[in-house]
Amino acid sequence: MLRIEGLTIRARDRVIVEDIGFDMAEDRVTCLIGPSGCGKTSVQKWLAGVLAPELSVEGQARRDGRGLARPDPDLAYQPQQDALFPWLTIRENACLGLGVAGLSRRAARAKVDPLFTPFGLAGCEDLFPDQLSGGMRQRAAFLRTIVQDTRYVLLDEPFSALDAVTRLTMQDWLCARLRDRPRGVLLITHDLHEATRIADRILVMSARPGRIVADIPLTIAREDRSEAALADLRTHLKTLLLEDTQ
Amino acid sequence: MSHLFRILPALGFALALVLGWELYCALSGVSTLVLPAPSGVVGALVRERDEILRHAVSTVGVAATGFSLSVTFAFATSVALHFLPWLRRGAMPLLVASQTVPLVALAPLMILWFGFGLLPKVLLVILVTFFPILVSLLSGYRAAPRAFVDLMTSMGAGRGRIFRQVNLPAARASFFAGLRISATYAIVATIFAEYAGARQGIGIYILTAKNNFRADHVLAGVVVSAVLTLTLLGLLWLVDALTARRFRERRHAQD
Ligand SMILES: Nc1ncnc2c1ncn2[C@@H]1O[C@H](COP(=O)(O)OP(=O)(O)OP(=O)(O)O)[C@@H](O)[C@H]1O
Ligand SMILES: [Mg+2]
Repeated sequence: MLRIEGLTIRARDRVIVEDIGFDMAEDRVTCLIGPSGCGKTSVQKWLAGVLAPELSVEGQARRDGRGLARPDPDLAYQPQQDALFPWLTIRENACLGLGVAGLSRRAARAKVDPLFTPFGLAGCEDLFPDQLSGGMRQRAAFLRTIVQDTRYVLLDEPFSALDAVTRLTMQDWLCARLRDRPRGVLLITHDLHEATRIADRILVMSARPGRIVADIPLTIAREDRSEAALADLRTHLKTLLLEDTQ
Repeated sequence: MSHLFRILPALGFALALVLGWELYCALSGVSTLVLPAPSGVVGALVRERDEILRHAVSTVGVAATGFSLSVTFAFATSVALHFLPWLRRGAMPLLVASQTVPLVALAPLMILWFGFGLLPKVLLVILVTFFPILVSLLSGYRAAPRAFVDLMTSMGAGRGRIFRQVNLPAARASFFAGLRISATYAIVATIFAEYAGARQGIGIYILTAKNNFRADHVLAGVVVSAVLTLTLLGLLWLVDALTARRFRERRHAQD
């Protein structure tokens, strides 16, 4: 269990997020939604240990009762946009985290290669990122994140660059991957539809300063989430978000 | 084929210019002492080829030595300045200021301090070509996308690894741009150093030709210096293209 307590992030002249606190179970998907600029990325960057040094921070994060190291080897971070290095092949990109963790090139390869087929990237090992479609790039970024085999995964708007259809297939695909191997996921999104399809729980943030204004568990199983079953929830979320912008 | 079409306009212009020049010399009856025709320059090149070759070898030696040392120093300095911000803040203004010293003043000073040997000329080439390479490297390092650095940091990578795997590859294009700028200065700086004092080199050849009122020889020297610079640029282009293979490799993306 990952527990965030009393997180306040300040820039020189203003408060970015204030008193954020929540728990993340290691087999649940938590979605963080909120208006643009409310500080979602900042929360994630802080957890990943890459928050800009000029920002001041109060609060703490604990994993299983102990302080979270930053960066923590049990936590993988996937930045907004796919961040694939254009000068590396997809395989080399996928091996990055393993290389940092000290695995030899060969050992990393042996770990990465079997994942290309389940990730729908068979045959793309030696291609460069700019030779892939948007959806494939996104899967490659996921592959790089997932192969680090951490219990917690931070995803910053992983689907926002995709077209509507690819986005839907990628959401289903992510759910399937998580069914195979559950992880504690903190997923940032703008998209209510996406949040209600994937999340086990939705945290709604307000803007200026960013606070958590609602914490909504989703009890319906993912398979049973028909449009009709989600309609009320979406209306509720919409009201929360719109209220906030007034 | 498409390459040929792209350089066709440039070739046309050059050809027109040379033809116009040749015609002007033939029709206006201007003295060859003042303005030799292109054919006269070619003639001088052919007649003087042994002499010119001897001088050119010396010039190329100096320029190549200076340029390679310059690249080495610039790289070492860029790494130091990248990792030590206080050094960057302290040294950068001085480096910028050094660029405001005119070549005309620098060349004689170098000769004065270090004599007529190889050293002052090589130093001058380094002084002239060092800065563009350094600046291109530093700005290249900083052009590395923030998200790439964040990603590596979140994986637990140290600064050295981030430099090698993110900043260095990100600086590649900018580095070659800097190299090209410096390469165009390298030959000119060498010739200038020779002009200020040397025993041989294209600069000396041009100086002697000028003193003998041989405009055709002067122009032959100029042509050789241009060819040398273009050759250096061509070599850089080749290195760029060869090492860029993996960056540009295009096998068609399958879907
Ligand atoms: N280094 C920094 N210095 C000052 N302010 C910053 C810094 N980084 C972020 N901010 C501010 O913090 C606020 C929150 O930024 P953040 O990127 O976390 O928002 P977000 O919720 O992820 O937005 P979006 O949905 O558009 O991605 C923004 O207003 C931004 O200007
Ligand atoms: Mg964001």
